[in-house]
Amino acid sequence: MAKLLVVDDEEHIRLLYSEELKEVGYEVITAESGYKLLELIEEEKPDLVILDIKMVDYNGLDLLQDIRNRFYDLPVILSTAYDTFKEDMKSIAADFYVVKSFDLTELKKKIAMALETRLPT
Amino acid sequence: MAFYEENPQAVTKADIVVGIPTLNEVKTIAATVEQCARGLKEYFGSMNCVIVNCDNQSVDGTKDAFFAAPCDIPRIYVSTQAGETGKGNNLRNLFEVVRKLEAQAVVMLEADVTNLAPNWIKKLAEPVLKGIGYVTPLYVRHKYEATLSSSVIYPLTRCLYGRRVRQPNAGDCAFKGSLVEAFLACPVWTDAVKSSGIDIWMTTVALNSRVPVSQCFMGIPKIHRVKDPYAHLGSIFRQIMSTTFDLMKLYADFWRMVKWSKPTALAGTDAEDVETPIPVDINMNRLYDRFVQGFESYYPVWEKMFDQTVCHKLSEIKDMGLQHFSIPTQTWAQILFDASLNYHQAAESRRADLLDSLLPLYLGKVLTFVKKTERMSVQQAEDYVESECTVFEECKPHLIKIWE
Repeated sequence: MAKLLVVDDEEHIRLLYSEELKEVGYEVITAESGYKLLELIEEEKPDLVILDIKMVDYNGLDLLQDIRNRFYDLPVILSTAYDTFKEDMKSIAADFYVVKSFDLTELKKKIAMALETRLPT
Repeated sequence: MAFYEENPQAVTKADIVVGIPTLNEVKTIAATVEQCARGLKEYFGSMNCVIVNCDNQSVDGTKDAFFAAPCDIPRIYVSTQAGETGKGNNLRNLFEVVRKLEAQAVVMLEADVTNLAPNWIKKLAEPVLKGIGYVTPLYVRHKYEATLSSSVIYPLTRCLYGRRVRQPNAGDCAFKGSLVEAFLACPVWTDAVKSSGIDIWMTTVALNSRVPVSQCFMGIPKIHRVKDPYAHLGSIFRQIMSTTFDLMKLYADFWRMVKWSKPTALAGTDAEDVETPIPVDINMNRLYDRFVQGFESYYPVWEKMFDQTVCHKLSEIKDMGLQHFSIPTQTWAQILFDASLNYHQAAESRRADLLDSLLPLYLGKVLTFVKKTERMSVQQAEDYVESECTVFEECKPHLIKIWE
């Protein structure tokens, strides 16, 4: 069972993602901010991170950079309410992005793809 | 092995090597050396640095200009034999020098870049010194610049080797010194690699060496000496395609196991002001004419190479005329996949003709891209390229199947 880490400062999003993703068989842990995110990843060793871009105290794109620099191949899916973030070059370090929605079909598809991605080591 | 070497400061060790390949670059080499030296001094002043000019026995005084440039970083000049040209040959000499100097990091920059600035050295070398194995620059580009990269090399390399390197043959790069062992050991060392194929060759070898790869956002366009993009298109296309196909065979065991793709790390995102790309004009009529001429000349070759559905589709596309011209991405992926297999099955003597027959198809693909993205911003066109890459990845099972 793959372990997913949802990082979002909106409680209802954390709840929605948690419940729906647990229902399809994932283990889900959540964080409400980017505070000590790298330490959390180190400790929990998630298989994938779903990362909000705009949080009150943190910029998800900066966090993405930190994650990529320390955990080179950890899959990260950016979750956003607006797709203007693509103008920021930092977003290309993400595996995928999804626009936030109550319908998680797209998110589930991207999670499956990210977890299926295979590169020989 | 370099045919000729001048090492006036008797340098025997270096932490950082900046390599500048040249052929008759007397007008630009001094400025390039000066900018590189400023970058090395400003950002890596405490390290042992050396600038290496790897030349093709230029007859215009490049060597003298290299040594005469105002610069207090040690310099080494190496050259191939007279008449032995090609950027690949120059870089092979650079690899030998890097091995000898046991350098930690190498930055390779072309000599004819007119907007090179000292911070390019920092941007490219820094990720390597922090542990990245291979760095490619991400220049600001107009949507119609480097269409060979957008339409062929990027989607193909990404779908084969699973890493999203957007400008895999940008002409400049940085890498850790120990990677020269992989470069020097690579058995694919063809005439095409010795020439224009070298850039995609280096990226592909690096990707298959499993070193961490990063892209570095440069924030500006790369401005070269003015060149006519059509002047050497045929030979450059052939060299790059044959290099790509030759490496596909070598690394077949690797790419068969790759599914989907992953991003790279990204450096240089602290770029101050991002410049806007320089507009590129494209003549759609000319592209269409080249496709139609190619259709008339090469249809018999295509019939042998592609299955009936592809040939039928190409006939349909030709009959649509310029106004409705469109090569679907799936068809394009299948064309490249089928061509790669045919290339390997063909006798050596037939390969040049096979590659030449792909050129009008590529120009047709560029025309398709131009028509689709005509009203798009650079960012929207970039999203379109990304969606095409996803189609390539989705079509990959076909490639694996036919290669089996």
